[in-house]
Amino acid sequence: MKKVRGLQRKNKLLIGLVCLCTGFMLAIQFQSNQTPQERDTRDLWEIRTQLQQEQRQQQQLYQEISQVKNVLDEYEAQSEPAQMKALNQSIQELEIKAGMTEKSGPGVIIKIDQLFMDIEGPQSSPVLTPDLLHHLINELNQFGASDLAIEGQRMIDITPIRLVNDRIYVNNHPLPGLPVEIYVLANNAERLIDYIEVSNSNDYFAIENLKISTEESSQIELPAYDGILNLQGINVNAQYEVGDE
Amino acid sequence: MWLPAMFLIFGVLLGLMTNITVPDAYANYLSIAVLAALDTLFGGIRAQAERKFDQKIFVTGFFFNISLAAFLAFLGVQLGIDLYLAAIFAFGVRLFHNIAMIRRIYIEKWEKRKIKQEK
Repeated sequence: MKKVRGLQRKNKLLIGLVCLCTGFMLAIQFQSNQTPQERDTRDLWEIRTQLQQEQRQQQQLYQEISQVKNVLDEYEAQSEPAQMKALNQSIQELEIKAGMTEKSGPGVIIKIDQLFMDIEGPQSSPVLTPDLLHHLINELNQFGASDLAIEGQRMIDITPIRLVNDRIYVNNHPLPGLPVEIYVLANNAERLIDYIEVSNSNDYFAIENLKISTEESSQIELPAYDGILNLQGINVNAQYEVGDE
Repeated sequence: MWLPAMFLIFGVLLGLMTNITVPDAYANYLSIAVLAALDTLFGGIRAQAERKFDQKIFVTGFFFNISLAAFLAFLGVQLGIDLYLAAIFAFGVRLFHNIAMIRRIYIEKWEKRKIKQEK
């Protein structure tokens, strides 16, 4: 009888231990699945810069609102012919902004050409790639170019540069072979030339056996964008970088 | 009956108080181990109700099932097959089966007692 009771006690203890293990594992599993609360870990500086940024944005929005309000007031205050005039003026302004009109001014003519003419070995002509062109255009915009045209094709905000059948198409028009000329309008042409001369683009182009040469010009004429502005499918691209949120 | 329950609560408290968490990569293993443990536990309760409880089978079943499940999950990860789903399925089915059997046994017992009382 005593032996049986001892066995039973041992039994119970073992079952208890198994239960203990199970409970322990359950608790750990429960805890692991509990998603930790998202904490605001930004320090004072990050919050301050964020605040500043938001304030700047707010300022900008206010400015835009007041501008648009002014235009609206003008429309409302004027008689019908004057209203038409104001509207036309707005349309013209917007067209200039969008690159739908011809534009002239001081600027730089950039010529992309072959770097070495007489390379030994099998003759091959250097190839301009859309990536290189993209890079150069981004740099030009960064360096203060206000308007651009590549071989008679005006660059607007939605101008595509694509590689189709081994040819580069700008605004859906193929670029002729080398040399390629880029017309750049800039308020400070000299500075732009300086920037181009020290930019990375030179090296990248040289790798492809291409050379960038610049020439200042007091009067450059850019053609108007002659295609159809298709704004369908264009959305505001709100990008968040790491650390923004 | 109260001892296992107490140990279970004690284990849960211990787990909650130690504040241990398992990294995401091993969450699968633990979940499957928990399932195996629960399966064994309910299996034990059922065996007890059927009066054929064997301590050896219970204890070895507990550890063996857990290690087998973890091994299966590990193998699945190595092979790129979600093998742990197989274990979850098997244990889930058995869990339901065991609980259903326990319910039946206790209902039968209750009915027998009722009939006895009426007599």
